[in-house]
Amino acid sequence: MDGWDVAIVIVKVLVVFALLLAATILLVWIERKVVADMQNRIGPERAGPWGILQTLADGLKLLFKEQIRPNKVEVGMYLLAPVLTLLPAFLIFMVIPIGVPFTVTLGGVERVVSMQGTDLNVGLLYILAMSSLAVYAVVLAGWSSGSKYPLLGGVRATAQAISYEAAMGLALVPVVFYAGSLSISEIVAAQSGTWGGIVPRWNIVPLFLSFVIFFIAIIAETNRAPFDLVEAEQEIVGGFHTEYSGFRFACFFLAEYINMFNMSAIAATLFLGGWNGPTFGLTGFVSWLLPIIYFFIKTFVLIFIFMWVRATLPRFRYDQLMTLGWKRLIPAALLWLVLSAVVVGWRQFGAPWT
Amino acid sequence: MAPDIDYLALAPEITLAVTAVVVLLLDLFLPRRQKYWTAIVAVLGVSFAALPLIALAVSDVGDRAMLGGSFVVDDFALVLKGLFVIAGYLVLLMSVGYVESDRYYQGEYYFLLLMSILGSMVLASSRDLITLFIAVELVSQPMYLLAGWRKGDLRSNEASLKYFLLGVLASALLLYGMSFVYGLTGELTFAGIAAEGAGKAGEPAFIMAILFIIAGFGFKVSAVPFHFWAPDTYEGAPTPVAAYLSVSSKAAGFVALLVVLYSAFPDASGVWGPAVWILAALSMTLANLTALRQTNIVRLLAYSSVAQAGFMLVPFAAAATTDAVGLGEAFAATVTYIVIYAFMNLGAFAVVIAGARKTGTGDIEGWGGLGSYAPALGALAAVFFFSLAGIPPLAGWIAKLVMFGAAMGAGSPWMIALAVIAAINAVIALVYYARVVKTIWMDPVPATAPEEEVRTASVAGSLGLAIGLSAAVVVVAGFFPSLVTFFSDATKVLAGG
Amino acid sequence: MSDWFSEPANWVFLVLALVIAVSAVRVVTSTNVVHSALFLVLALGATAGLFLLLSAEFVAWVLVLVYIGAVIVLFLFGIMITRAPTGPNVEMDHRPRAPAAMAAFLMFIVTAGSGLTAFGDQEITRLGDGTSTELIGEQLLQRFVIPFEVVSFVLLAALIGGITLARRDASPAEEEATEEEVQA
Repeated sequence: MDGWDVAIVIVKVLVVFALLLAATILLVWIERKVVADMQNRIGPERAGPWGILQTLADGLKLLFKEQIRPNKVEVGMYLLAPVLTLLPAFLIFMVIPIGVPFTVTLGGVERVVSMQGTDLNVGLLYILAMSSLAVYAVVLAGWSSGSKYPLLGGVRATAQAISYEAAMGLALVPVVFYAGSLSISEIVAAQSGTWGGIVPRWNIVPLFLSFVIFFIAIIAETNRAPFDLVEAEQEIVGGFHTEYSGFRFACFFLAEYINMFNMSAIAATLFLGGWNGPTFGLTGFVSWLLPIIYFFIKTFVLIFIFMWVRATLPRFRYDQLMTLGWKRLIPAALLWLVLSAVVVGWRQFGAPWT
Repeated sequence: MAPDIDYLALAPEITLAVTAVVVLLLDLFLPRRQKYWTAIVAVLGVSFAALPLIALAVSDVGDRAMLGGSFVVDDFALVLKGLFVIAGYLVLLMSVGYVESDRYYQGEYYFLLLMSILGSMVLASSRDLITLFIAVELVSQPMYLLAGWRKGDLRSNEASLKYFLLGVLASALLLYGMSFVYGLTGELTFAGIAAEGAGKAGEPAFIMAILFIIAGFGFKVSAVPFHFWAPDTYEGAPTPVAAYLSVSSKAAGFVALLVVLYSAFPDASGVWGPAVWILAALSMTLANLTALRQTNIVRLLAYSSVAQAGFMLVPFAAAATTDAVGLGEAFAATVTYIVIYAFMNLGAFAVVIAGARKTGTGDIEGWGGLGSYAPALGALAAVFFFSLAGIPPLAGWIAKLVMFGAAMGAGSPWMIALAVIAAINAVIALVYYARVVKTIWMDPVPATAPEEEVRTASVAGSLGLAIGLSAAVVVVAGFFPSLVTFFSDATKVLAGG
Repeated sequence: MSDWFSEPANWVFLVLALVIAVSAVRVVTSTNVVHSALFLVLALGATAGLFLLLSAEFVAWVLVLVYIGAVIVLFLFGIMITRAPTGPNVEMDHRPRAPAAMAAFLMFIVTAGSGLTAFGDQEITRLGDGTSTELIGEQLLQRFVIPFEVVSFVLLAALIGGITLARRDASPAEEEATEEEVQA
């Protein structure tokens, strides 16, 4: 580990940071456009071509707004919560590989640089752990605001996070069975190739039910419609961020979109083969660039589904939310888990009577 | 790749586990009026679990060890598994009428009871720290919940909460001690600990670890000063649950203590001997003195069972001061005491359930004249209470005899002192046991007693069966002590005697 | 001693240990129950850090996932739906502080003393290389398969019993009604 290695790590962190910020700016605009289109509206069109700079304008506006701090807040927690919400959002992306590694010669040594912040050998656990931390910011924001609606939002957030984390974790276990590893890069590697030259070896093919459960769970984890009870405007004003304004509010806003991007990227990585895709026998720079493009295409397809769901479905009632989580998703995930275990076990060790 | 599993050796546990799951599923699909089927399945399942035990006992393979010696089925394990099965069977019988009469969740009740029995079965075979700890947890955890099963009753809530909080504290102590033992020896199996820990008996950390483990099990067997939960929990919990707590759960604690002390720390008997001596003396004396002032029959039995735990600890203390043969004798003495105590205490609790229904109260005063309108029940009550007191020719006498034998056999002045303390306590205990019998037979029927029909209503069949079986064992074993000592001698294998 | 300080891992350990100690004390002394829960998060997070330092990645992340991500969140949930405390909670301040502090201190002396005399400054060796995840998995399903299965029953019993105790009892009339509904 010399200076260059440290430099590579720093560059990686900066790239992830920039990438997530850029993705967010793009995402907000895409969402407004897509939803507008689905509702027969036009959406933003004034700032920049097709209104693409609208997010920047909004962001600048928020930055310069006065930050109101109500009297009854718990100051420390109130100020900490917006920072806390960004932390797991940025950290979680560090283990996602967005492309194939490349080699560079730095300081006279040839080094392999992976397109991944860091490759933990328990990467999947890391993702689950980080996504489970995201709820703290919401809870603390709700509690420290010292007012009723945010508190309700916080309570809803905890209940929702716990209920859907279980389903999410269970849905991912079959993925680990198929890959035989918890490392994200190995899970991606296990999905390369095709069945019979046509169907890609993605996990979504044998594990479709897992994918569906996981996707529903991540919509709930990111508090997106139809699971946005945490910030249901019609019921509890803004929910946990009612008492926030200006830049602090922007932090929550930013984190929501980063999380949506993260979760889509994770789903693409675990179920849609990550950066895997046909390279058409190309070599060199193009063969390096193609996987990155594949990765982003898959991610944005999933993000589009996120938006589609939001534009289509009305918000759940609280009891419906709990019923779906505990009585439908978790039992389904458990059954599917047992089934996959039997299949994988059978394949690996042979039939139980042999 | 597959672990080496001897399925015959595991068959009793598997039977119980399957039964429990079947009970749970049945409960899901049965309409409310037919929930009694869960009781029938539970009783059948426990009976079936005894079959592989018999098969194992008569097979000539000898000890069956698996998973690196973590799980061993030897004579010791078989005898105690047999005891746990029979005790569980009796408690199930006692529960049937009791649970049906009130708005209990029957299916869940039997499920949790079966889980606890399963835990005690695993416990009897566990020979490493992890298996032992998990088994102890499985024994006690359903009991935390069952103690609070009478949800509408504040005393039941209190019972559950107290037992839970102190039980969790005990588990924490236990685990902390175990972690130190693992850290010091690097071994998990008892044999390994005994080998590695041979030279470490004097180390402060090792001493502390052993004391923590004794304290942890002290809670489970409710020895003074770790007994605070017992009276309140027994009183508030449903009575069959209290019976289970005072017998199976306590016996499980003793089994764990026996196995750990004898097979993991044989060289540290200088450490645990005195500790157990103090526990035994305190338990007997304090519990008996407190029991004298009790007016509630269940609380009286609670203090009585704490005192009995003290008697059971006496041979432990003796074992620390003797040679290998004496060690085996002391070991067998404790097992004998546990087996006999199980039957007489279960019988006493069964009588209390029947008596409480007839008299409508748990106050001893309200039991006046029970013998006049329910002579059979009164006579059986006398049998169990005199047996607990250790009056010949009932089985409790044998238990006391082997206990004193072990204490005197050790011969050291300390042990003789302990034997004297035990003797004085046996006399004190006789006072309060005899007082109950006197109330039943000699006092007039109090004015508050319920109607004639309630008093003379016949005892539920299953409860009567439980009382009858326990009484038969208590009486027969009193005349033929070899019936019990045959089994307890077989357990000496563990003590190497 | 200078050797000890020249090793960067020791510095990390020192910081983590201090965080654990201070936040553990604050868990007990804080008069605000939400703050107590959050200090517990800090203590657990630093403990996970210690496991990372020992390159026990699996244990570290499981600790974060289970304890910080689920158990404490449940604590907060429980606190918020029962009391909704939005200020310092004076009732939390227990009177007999001195004896409790004494007991805790004695306990500390005993455990720390015996730990020091037992292990001294002997180096604890690491058991083998390779991913700890694989080793843990293999041990769980080979040598410790019985406790592993038994744990599942412990959890099942806790789950069933907990739900039964916690749920609101329907009145007998209501139960009859649902019964008929089911049959119809």
